[in-house]
Amino acid sequence: MDRAKKSGQGSCRLVPFRLMVVLGFAVLLGGALAVPFQYQTETLWYKTGVDKVLLRTGQQAGLTTLVLLLAQIVLSLRGRFLEGLFGAACLLRWHRFNGPLLACTACCHAILVLAPEGLGNIPMGKKYWPEMVGEGLFILLLATVLLSQFRSRLQLDYKTWRAVHRPLGYLIPVLALIHVLFVSESFAQGAPRAVLLVVFAVLTLFAVLVKTGRWRARS
Amino acid sequence: MKRISGLGIALLLSVVMAHNSFAVVRDWTLDKDHSNIYFSVDHIYAKINGRFDTFTGTVNFDPANLRESRISFAITVDSIDTNVSKRDKHLLSADFFDAGKYPSITFDSTAITDAGNGMYQVAGKLNIKGKTYDLTLPLKLAGIKDHPADPKSQVIGFNGTVTLDRHVYNVGDPKFYAMGLVGKDVEILVSIEALSPK
Repeated sequence: MDRAKKSGQGSCRLVPFRLMVVLGFAVLLGGALAVPFQYQTETLWYKTGVDKVLLRTGQQAGLTTLVLLLAQIVLSLRGRFLEGLFGAACLLRWHRFNGPLLACTACCHAILVLAPEGLGNIPMGKKYWPEMVGEGLFILLLATVLLSQFRSRLQLDYKTWRAVHRPLGYLIPVLALIHVLFVSESFAQGAPRAVLLVVFAVLTLFAVLVKTGRWRARS
Repeated sequence: MKRISGLGIALLLSVVMAHNSFAVVRDWTLDKDHSNIYFSVDHIYAKINGRFDTFTGTVNFDPANLRESRISFAITVDSIDTNVSKRDKHLLSADFFDAGKYPSITFDSTAITDAGNGMYQVAGKLNIKGKTYDLTLPLKLAGIKDHPADPKSQVIGFNGTVTLDRHVYNVGDPKFYAMGLVGKDVEILVSIEALSPK
């Protein structure tokens, strides 16, 4: 009875911290969604009507994908603090749910950004390398999600799957950072670029601390 | 016998006349490294210059036989280069050239006339975005001479400019002009060097 009471009190004490984490995520997502309005790209100058709505929504879908990707890294690294707040099972459940969600937002981004330009006009070639990084990233992201979703159907044993999943988990965020920094004029300079670089630096530090064992989760 | 020889002469004459009317005009090979297709268009106040990097062409030209002379070229649209990749991407999009759907622009001359002072009016068919238009390209013959660096070849040169209303050719939504962003008149500069063995 005492233990249950203590556990309940502990759980109550955790609520503000949980709210802070959720709020932090919401602020990051809200900020990302505001970027195409506050820091409009020159590409949007030339779009009107439906095309403008599609392109802007596509940019927002891309930035949503980026935020979900950052969240996915946090969820996969977990760390002692987050595991204490939400529990390992809960974090893993979110990580598994977030994967297909990432694939969906990435698909929306690709379609919505390409639609106003004509779906047949996929940028290819050396001078469009930031776009091509995005195209490669899109394929890798889909492959990662599909491999995870259909691992048993593909008869992939856990060890093999993990050997593929883990390096992709490191590679995808790096490619995402390169893609966003160089493809979007919104991130060419100013606050969005600075915030993005700071967030990635913090995330890298978090990953190092978790991987070196200082913040490693207990489970 | 006389009748037979008369027929023979007539046949010979007709062959000679046919040969003359389809005389092979000198074939010049386009020197791609020294030939260019440039364009220039207004953007609000500034002039934006660009070019097409990839194109092929045939030049069959003899100033003494304009009737059989031909000039044609095919431009690869996605080789457009304005020195800003974002702008190139936009030009290739459905807003302008829609390169995925219409990958090339072609011009085939139908008649070349001497306009005097080395000027030639090259009338032909311009195919752009799937439609064919009549277009006359004024080309100035810069000259024909022995190639300064290749003793086995001769070189021919043409330069010409023409201003096209891009709306006529369905290149670029008219809204960009209405918004005051992109001009409707595009100046095209064609500069050709072609080589032929002596």
